[in-house]
Amino acid sequence: MTDPNLNKLPGGFKGMSTDIGSDQTAFKGVNWGKAMMWIFLLSDTFVFSCFLIAYMKVRASVVDDWPYPSEVFGLEVAGVPVPLLLIAIMTFVLITSSGTMALAVKYGYEKNRKLCGLFVLLTAIGGLTFVGMQAFEWSKLIFHDGVRPWGNPFGAPQFGAFFFMITGFHGTHVSIGVIFLFIFARKVYRGDFDTGRRGFFTTMKSDYVAIEILGLYWHFVDLVWVFIFAFFYLW
Amino acid sequence: MWTGIVFLAVIVGSIAFHVFTPWWWTDIASNWGAMDDTIILTFWIGGGVFILVCLFMVYCIFKFSYKENRKAEYKPEDKKLETRLTWITALGVAALLAPGLLVWNEYIRVPPNAINIEVMAWQWGWKYRLPGEDNKLGTSSVKNISDDNPFGINNDDPHGKDDILIESSELHLEKNRPVKILLRSIDVLHNFYVPQFRAKMDAVPGVITYYWFEPNKNGEYEVLCAEYCGVGHYAMRASVVVQDKKDYKKWLAQHKTFSNYLAEKFEQNSLKKAKIVKFNNLLSNEKSILKESN
Amino acid sequence: MLDDINKDKKHSSPRTKSSSISGGERDVDYVRPADIPDQELYHGHSFLTKWIFCQDAKVIGVQYTLTAVFTGVVGLILSWMMRMQLGFPELFPFLTAESYYQMVTMHGMIMVVYLLTALFLGGFGNYLIPLMVGARDMVFPYVNMVSFWMFFVAVVVLMASFFVPGGPTGAGWTLYPPQAIIEGTPGSGAGILLMLVSLSLFVIGFTMGGLNYVITILQARTRGMTLMRMPLTIWGIFTATVLALLAFPALFVSAIMMTLDKVLGTSFFMPVMMKAGELLAYDGGSPILFQHLFWFFGHPEVYIVALPAFGIVSDLISVHSRKNIFGYRMMVWAIVGIGALSFFVWAHHMYVSGMSPWFGFFFATTTLIIAVPTALKVYNWILTLWRGNIRINVVMLFCLGFIVTFVNGGITGIFLGNVIVDVPLSDTYFVIAHFHMVMGIAPLMVIFGAIYHWFPLITGRFLDEKLGKLHFWITFLGAYSIYFPMHYLGFIGVPRRYFEMYNSPYMPSTIGMNEFISIAVFVVGAAQFIFFFNVVKSIRLGKPSGKNPWKANSLEWLTPDVPPAHGNWGEKLPVVHRWAYDFSVPGAKEDYIPQTTPPSEVIEAEVEKT
Repeated sequence: MTDPNLNKLPGGFKGMSTDIGSDQTAFKGVNWGKAMMWIFLLSDTFVFSCFLIAYMKVRASVVDDWPYPSEVFGLEVAGVPVPLLLIAIMTFVLITSSGTMALAVKYGYEKNRKLCGLFVLLTAIGGLTFVGMQAFEWSKLIFHDGVRPWGNPFGAPQFGAFFFMITGFHGTHVSIGVIFLFIFARKVYRGDFDTGRRGFFTTMKSDYVAIEILGLYWHFVDLVWVFIFAFFYLW
Repeated sequence: MWTGIVFLAVIVGSIAFHVFTPWWWTDIASNWGAMDDTIILTFWIGGGVFILVCLFMVYCIFKFSYKENRKAEYKPEDKKLETRLTWITALGVAALLAPGLLVWNEYIRVPPNAINIEVMAWQWGWKYRLPGEDNKLGTSSVKNISDDNPFGINNDDPHGKDDILIESSELHLEKNRPVKILLRSIDVLHNFYVPQFRAKMDAVPGVITYYWFEPNKNGEYEVLCAEYCGVGHYAMRASVVVQDKKDYKKWLAQHKTFSNYLAEKFEQNSLKKAKIVKFNNLLSNEKSILKESN
Repeated sequence: MLDDINKDKKHSSPRTKSSSISGGERDVDYVRPADIPDQELYHGHSFLTKWIFCQDAKVIGVQYTLTAVFTGVVGLILSWMMRMQLGFPELFPFLTAESYYQMVTMHGMIMVVYLLTALFLGGFGNYLIPLMVGARDMVFPYVNMVSFWMFFVAVVVLMASFFVPGGPTGAGWTLYPPQAIIEGTPGSGAGILLMLVSLSLFVIGFTMGGLNYVITILQARTRGMTLMRMPLTIWGIFTATVLALLAFPALFVSAIMMTLDKVLGTSFFMPVMMKAGELLAYDGGSPILFQHLFWFFGHPEVYIVALPAFGIVSDLISVHSRKNIFGYRMMVWAIVGIGALSFFVWAHHMYVSGMSPWFGFFFATTTLIIAVPTALKVYNWILTLWRGNIRINVVMLFCLGFIVTFVNGGITGIFLGNVIVDVPLSDTYFVIAHFHMVMGIAPLMVIFGAIYHWFPLITGRFLDEKLGKLHFWITFLGAYSIYFPMHYLGFIGVPRRYFEMYNSPYMPSTIGMNEFISIAVFVVGAAQFIFFFNVVKSIRLGKPSGKNPWKANSLEWLTPDVPPAHGNWGEKLPVVHRWAYDFSVPGAKEDYIPQTTPPSEVIEAEVEKT
């Protein structure tokens, strides 16, 4: 703010369009990888939106009754049916892992190798727990309740189809995230980001910004879960 | 030079082709003359634009071909011209759209006196169902379809009992009486299309779609399937006969209602069925004996 | 930085000595220093890393182009066989209805996705984006390389479906369920599965490439290259890539859902249905849902092909009429506007699909609104020719051919977009003629023009002009005489996708026309081999072109080496001082001023727009 000429820059929308339209970069100071992740997430949003809109369309138009979620997704604890118990825990774990991820990004920027690595690892463990509980939920639905992609004892056959497809697609996203989190936890501990060690495939220098990019992806996966949670379990 | 002449020839040729073409639509046999009119209107406006743009281009080719010592004009923008062109185009587009939407509004609103006719499509053929006096068709489902019930009519629906079933591919229509075509498919997508009537709509399995028209010219017309439905698509033809009320009634009287059909089938099958029932009873007896012995 | 703001204002006088707001003496050639450090590149050492798994966007562009053209030749051969059947039925006993529908399907899918999309975005995009915006390469060369190989695998999977039992799918290129996956449809086993897998791979591969194109254009431009100085080619490719990134997800999702319907027996798109007297196990799905998903992809897809063509043709017309593109800003906004609108028009493919008829009002209106910016682009192209100094060479011929075919196809689009006019014409040959004219022939004209234009840059040699003219006239006149009369088949009411149709009472009159069209198709198809011969010949024996043979302004012609080396710019990145269209500026000595020429070198030029 020392440059007196800055006051003469246009403000408001005019200023925004001048900034975006100026030379070299549209988003000033944004790393290439980060920009790329944002655009990818935008594209991925469309994927999940298509899934969810298709689900809503079919659910609104099927003739058979749609299964009642709090019964289907209930668990019996000591003989007492508790609706949505497992899902509540899963959601809690995943949201918590978003918190640890945010801390990992913070320590990454402080170049605190140990704490950054620790929180990346914690996030990975959180994600793994989520995937594990999802596997449990799936196996309960499949083996205990007899839900199949092509039919189920509760009502409309599309229930199983959409449930397995959408949570499966989301679970794949989480699993990919977990794999990358473990890889990056190792990279952080090894000090790749401090020494700028070159990537095995890309031969490009490593940088702590990678942790933030991974964090963007992880937060996105969590956010998508919130929507899936709302549309499948609360509707 | 030659370039300009050939492009000019292409434009003149296109116009000539349009004017002298022997390939043109069939004589219309329904009330949808307005569709033809909107096409003609689009031809005038669109064709005009095509000719103007292309002639302008040809003029430029003749006039501004490369010359070593000439310099092109330097004019990055012309706000006024661009705004004007925008408005003219918008007006032209509105002139096409407005009448189109008016006719579409008519197309989707069925007149109340229209007779409901069900067209049931399958791979690869057509069947028809006409309502009885009540002008109401009984509800139906693919799941009910059997040898005794080729249309899958719901047995509990009283409206279905007097429905007239036509199992041939020939449909007759009464001249000057609007028809609402209700489309059903028992397998894949089809489309009931008679070029002379202009109208069409897909038949979609699982839902009932509709359109309407008023045949106004006697004659026999060919029905074409206009939505790809597998290898037999091109052979999925049928015919529609438009005739005067008297002839139509005569034709109608030749066909059975659903209840007649059921009764007849019942008679035919009763002997066969009785045998089967007996046989089944024997079987179940044997089974129960087996069970008991176990 | 202040200079930056300045340039948005119009200068009616040359920007000579002092025109800065802070007053005082300032450098007229001032350009903001670099935001980001110079890009580091991986240079291949072996044949494998230099030519096969190469990370140079230019090589990747050529790889994309060659693969896409290969699929295009397959599509061309398929179209020959289809026309053989339609023009001269029963001449070849191996042309059964099954194989005919398989050819229809594969021809459509190959031409739309694997040829046009891959060629415009993968081919031209990779080659031109870094060069035209002044970058050393794409921002993530490694991902870019993987993108090509994903595409390659997708093509291999697609081609493999020709050899599996049952053959490739014959579901029609739109793959409408339930028909696409039930028994009885040709290729309903392995064929459709391979098609769906191939499409999914294509989407994944394309996403990798597309992210690269977008970020390179947004974040890796050289100094002085503002958005409003980019050539329209880049604007076209950029907008098309954004469309692709947002539209392909719908295709991806529908491919996954249909695969599950096929493999696991789910009923997303499958209603209860009866086949040969037996109820199938499906129940309650919605075939129309697939159509919505498909066309939500399918309509932007049309513009994914068209927008790069719009951009490229603008540049070609401008360079070869030695005149700036008329109304540059309008052109940019038209591209962006068409792109945005293209997401709100998809259901105009479904007017007679049985969806709620009330949608017709909305989609007819949005569809016709899109005609306005499109028409403006056409006006601006012909206004660019006006008072230009037009070189009538092969490149310009293809541009002129594009204008004629595009205007023709655009106007028939107004027929089909207007919902009530669509009712009698949809699913007839009118539709076939319309989309071949507007997104088959018109973009192909641009592709050929662009290849004749940029071939000297890629190889350092011109393509043969005489062979080129021969190629153009046969292609243009031939293709026009294929598709112009075909519209009239649609008026008669001949439905599309008919294996044969001569026993209809009103169709005998079409026999002669069908024979004529078929012969024209054989000739036009054969003429493409003139082009291939020209390319092969000119790579070795063509006239050497030297640097910037067309006297163009844009950056790709200003590299230190021709053809450009890996890294494009040698030691120093170029610095941009003006837009790409300073042709025939009054006062300037030459009739062109390259983008890198600083104002101080052409003080006497009366530049209006920078």
